[in-house]
Amino acid sequence: MSRPQVIPNGYYWLDQTARASFRLLARRISRRSFLGRLGAMLVGAAALPLLPVARAFAQETPTEVGDSKTCEYWRYCALGGTLCACCGGTHKTCPPGAEASPITWVGTCRNGADERDYLISYNDCCGKAVCARCGCNRTERDKPVYFPSNSNNVLWCFGTEARTYHCTVAVVLGEAPEAN
Amino acid sequence: MMRAPILTALFLSLLVPTAQAQIPAETVGSETMAPPADNWFISKSSTAGYIYDAETGEMQGLLSLSNRTAAVEVSRERGEFYAAEGYYSRGVHGERSDIVAVYDFENLSPIAEIEIPQKIEGQPLRRHAGLTGNGRYFLVFNMTPAQSVTVVDVENRTFVGEVSTPGCAVIMPVDDLAFMTICGDGMLQLIQLGEDGRETSRVRGDRFFDVQIDPVFDRPEPTAGGWWLVSYEGKAFDVSVDGTDIVVSEAWDLLAGDDQWRPGGRQFYGVHAPSGYAYVLMHQGGEYTHYQPGTEIWVYDINAQRRVERIELAAPASSLFVTQSDEPKLIVPDQEGGLHVYDAVKLTVDRTIDNPGPLGFIQGF
Repeated sequence: MSRPQVIPNGYYWLDQTARASFRLLARRISRRSFLGRLGAMLVGAAALPLLPVARAFAQETPTEVGDSKTCEYWRYCALGGTLCACCGGTHKTCPPGAEASPITWVGTCRNGADERDYLISYNDCCGKAVCARCGCNRTERDKPVYFPSNSNNVLWCFGTEARTYHCTVAVVLGEAPEAN
Repeated sequence: MMRAPILTALFLSLLVPTAQAQIPAETVGSETMAPPADNWFISKSSTAGYIYDAETGEMQGLLSLSNRTAAVEVSRERGEFYAAEGYYSRGVHGERSDIVAVYDFENLSPIAEIEIPQKIEGQPLRRHAGLTGNGRYFLVFNMTPAQSVTVVDVENRTFVGEVSTPGCAVIMPVDDLAFMTICGDGMLQLIQLGEDGRETSRVRGDRFFDVQIDPVFDRPEPTAGGWWLVSYEGKAFDVSVDGTDIVVSEAWDLLAGDDQWRPGGRQFYGVHAPSGYAYVLMHQGGEYTHYQPGTEIWVYDINAQRRVERIELAAPASSLFVTQSDEPKLIVPDQEGGLHVYDAVKLTVDRTIDNPGPLGFIQGF
């Protein structure tokens, strides 16, 4: 079924079902009670789509282990670039005056402290000369440039004022569902 | 006590100008580059191309490039180099300007430039640039991160347009006016251009690899009839084009039992197209060690699909290049700053180039 057909058919189905349900509801419950339940449903419905995302971001910060100024630091398992932590920033903040790219590549790294896998976003910090300290080239699950979302061999300064590369940070997005 | 030495010094100082005046003053001259030969190569650093003759080890001149230049294309017929370049008006910020620059062989000077969209990917990788088989269209790989290819008519010095290549990357020119790309769905894509440089058709081949299990490297190298691809786990594929069909050979195994070895590095393999011999940097390592420098070069006869030789390296290397002459040279920049020239047939070291400057990857003429 093509998309233009699905939508009118879907609405038709909704109209029929909704009409029948609301008639049934009206017979069974009082107006005040109906409004109360409807309100609860709406709040619930609003929360539902957010749940998986909210869960990912609501976790406690993972237990940290290791030195974020070295390539061996657990978050850097797919980082190809230089470490902002060595350049006046930290493992999750850009150095002064550098702009974080909102578009990134993503890795999955195991944290030795809790033996869990985490999704890591590698954001390049941009708009300044390259900070040529602490160069790393780790490649766990790294893919070629034709599969860019998992490729560290790309200048990921996109959507920034200047697309010059300065250094890279590693931000935890959440716990990984299951590593490859 | 001091008078005698002082007098002697004064006397000598009077003599010096007289001595200088007897030698004619030199003037500064300037060289022009000799016509390139088949065993010349370019050692491409982040901002320049150092041109060498592998026969003598002598440097011939330098191409100034931008730090967003992926690679240089050469037209020996026209005596020109082509390079995509990206600049900011204040070095690392300010107004951006992306161009294709044309350099002549004689002076290695810019003789033309063509403005292009500000999209060039900018990594120093050989196949992020290409020249169509007929030599007319220069192709530039873009990422914004949407992937596309910019087409520039270098004969008429005009920007032609942009070809969208979503999910596909690198440029592998085939025939006179077409190129292939490698795609994340495990297929190759063939894009045909018309005489005017605009896309006329595109086709997808069959799926021949799984990017999640064993992706092919995005570092393809040309053969006599097409391109040679190598996967992370050491599978090799010959790919070519027959009319509008993409032809991919059965995979064959480069490891052949040496399962603790992997291919890897940066521009880590090359093919001598006339003979079909391939040279691949190999290291001992497991999964996801694909950028690790090689400690050996394994030599293959790709027509017979078998390994013929192993070369142990004194220092690990991440890139190599083989020239396409009848007496080919194998150029190996190593991780300790050495630049070595091998006889690619005898597999012996001809020379090591002293003080080669910053090393990136090597490309040919």
